Amino acid sequence: MIMPEAIGLIAFVLLLLILLAGIPIGASLALVGIAGLSIIISPEAALIKTGAIAFDTVSRYELGVLPLFMLMAQLCFAAGASADFFDMAARMVGHRRGGLAMASIGGSAGFGAISGSSLATVATVSAVALPEMRRQGYQPGFAAASLAAGGTLGSLTPPSGALIVYGIIAEQSIGKLFGAAVIPVVTQALFYIAVIAILCHWRPSLGPAGPRATWRERGVAILHVADLSLLILFVVGGLILGWFTPTEAASVGCVGALGILALRRRFSVAAIGKAMFETLKTTGMIYLIVIGALLFSTFVSVTGITDGLVGLVHATGASPILAVIVMAGILLALGSFLDGLALMLLMTPILLPVVIGLGLSPIWFGIFLVRTMEIGFIHPPLGFNVYVIQAGARDIPLGTIFRGIIPFLIGDFLHLALLIAFPAIALWLPAMQAR
Amino acid sequence: MSGASTGIGDTPPPAKRGWVNAFLLGIGATGMFVAMASDAIAVLGRHVGFTLPGSIEVFQVAAVIALSMAILLASLNDRHAAVDLVVGRASARTARALFLFGRLALMLTFALLCAGSIWVSADLWSTHEMTEILAIPLRPFRLFWIVCSGLAAIHFARQFLKAARQ
Repeated sequence: MIMPEAIGLIAFVLLLLILLAGIPIGASLALVGIAGLSIIISPEAALIKTGAIAFDTVSRYELGVLPLFMLMAQLCFAAGASADFFDMAARMVGHRRGGLAMASIGGSAGFGAISGSSLATVATVSAVALPEMRRQGYQPGFAAASLAAGGTLGSLTPPSGALIVYGIIAEQSIGKLFGAAVIPVVTQALFYIAVIAILCHWRPSLGPAGPRATWRERGVAILHVADLSLLILFVVGGLILGWFTPTEAASVGCVGALGILALRRRFSVAAIGKAMFETLKTTGMIYLIVIGALLFSTFVSVTGITDGLVGLVHATGASPILAVIVMAGILLALGSFLDGLALMLLMTPILLPVVIGLGLSPIWFGIFLVRTMEIGFIHPPLGFNVYVIQAGARDIPLGTIFRGIIPFLIGDFLHLALLIAFPAIALWLPAMQAR
Repeated sequence: MSGASTGIGDTPPPAKRGWVNAFLLGIGATGMFVAMASDAIAVLGRHVGFTLPGSIEVFQVAAVIALSMAILLASLNDRHAAVDLVVGRASARTARALFLFGRLALMLTFALLCAGSIWVSADLWSTHEMTEILAIPLRPFRLFWIVCSGLAAIHFARQFLKAARQ
């Protein structure tokens, strides 16, 4: 008789292999979870659990937050939100050395708040910002690298899709997760801006200063993003302040986005239909993954593998910080060949009980996990953001972009170290929310 | 780079089944709007001073319609995300084998989801399961989910057989 822990380990390796073989993420997680439950408990129990989890997932009120925030994003896209935030930031700081690169960071944070996705952010902002930066004589590798790094802000900026998925899988408050993400996002953006400032101070040719915009031009650019900024502030702020639950916030956000659509005279059946079609397709894809992840998570919990891991950490006498550093190393290594969502869904059921066993906050862990996932978006060999940028600028070699990213990666590692050393960066705001 | 297509706002593939998509979209969109409206009106009511009893229950049943359609639309439009680090570099023969394996895995997943849901529904059938406040019967919604997951399984079975014959 094979021990459940051994079955858990074998299943983990098998899951990794079939994910790498290109089997859809949701199906991989679900099949390994169901097969594991069948072996450890019984095929009947596994099938009943499958049916119960499937219907519970599509009917659970709390999970409705995900499609509704996606719909809000799509309605904002339909209203014309694209690189407006970059345009506004460029008019504010474009006249400084490296100003457009700094603007791309601000623009990515702003657009990330709408899209909730790193890839959508990098694709949208780079489409406008990269030609503009090159026109002003920015060194291509530096320009592309700053955009790739800035794009990662989309994963963490609330309302973040990655944090919602984590909240669902880890059964944590999405409102608290959004609150916890605020300071890390701001400090991450500041780290990137500092990297740009240092690089441009050291080598001014990397990002020459552009012409200064007039205050009138700046005013027009600010007005252009005012409605979307107010919507995001209202939705995220209301959620953090406890005016509404995450699902209600998303519903209110959709109504607000419909209002913006009408205000911008883009309200039409075709525009709403397209937004809805995109939302439903993406939602369907993510829900299969969530169902699969919940099945896999149930399987992992019955293997006892996590209890073993917690015991191992206690037996070695490792400090929580050392354990977290080891986890970061594992996540970064796996992030070299798994995409962010797969990495999160694979590792959350295994690492979260260890984190709780060490007395660390699951809210903090969510931020740490997404932050680590973000680094995977730009570090080789996967670095999806780099490929997205290169797809739009074929003349910039991948190697040039990856070399340009090194200073940003150093900034990322320093920021991650700061997040590990001072969990209050993430936990202070949720603690304030609770009062 | 299908693994990258987990984001919001990605470029959609060209629609091949116009009327089917439009039909499913109509049902799914209705569910989504009902869910959104019930929640938004409940929030408004709470702050203005009226209550909308059972708004969460309306949201839940509308969500079943919207999300079942969403999963079916994602399946019909090949939107299920995968990591393509190996597939993207594999030979045509290996890539084809992995594609077949992927369709089989999706077919099996949806078949198991459907079978499990049928089992649970059969167990609960005689209880005439209803929501607490509005007494909305849940049987039709369970059936709706079963039909959608079953259709997704049939779709991937057809895709598998079609690709295997080629």
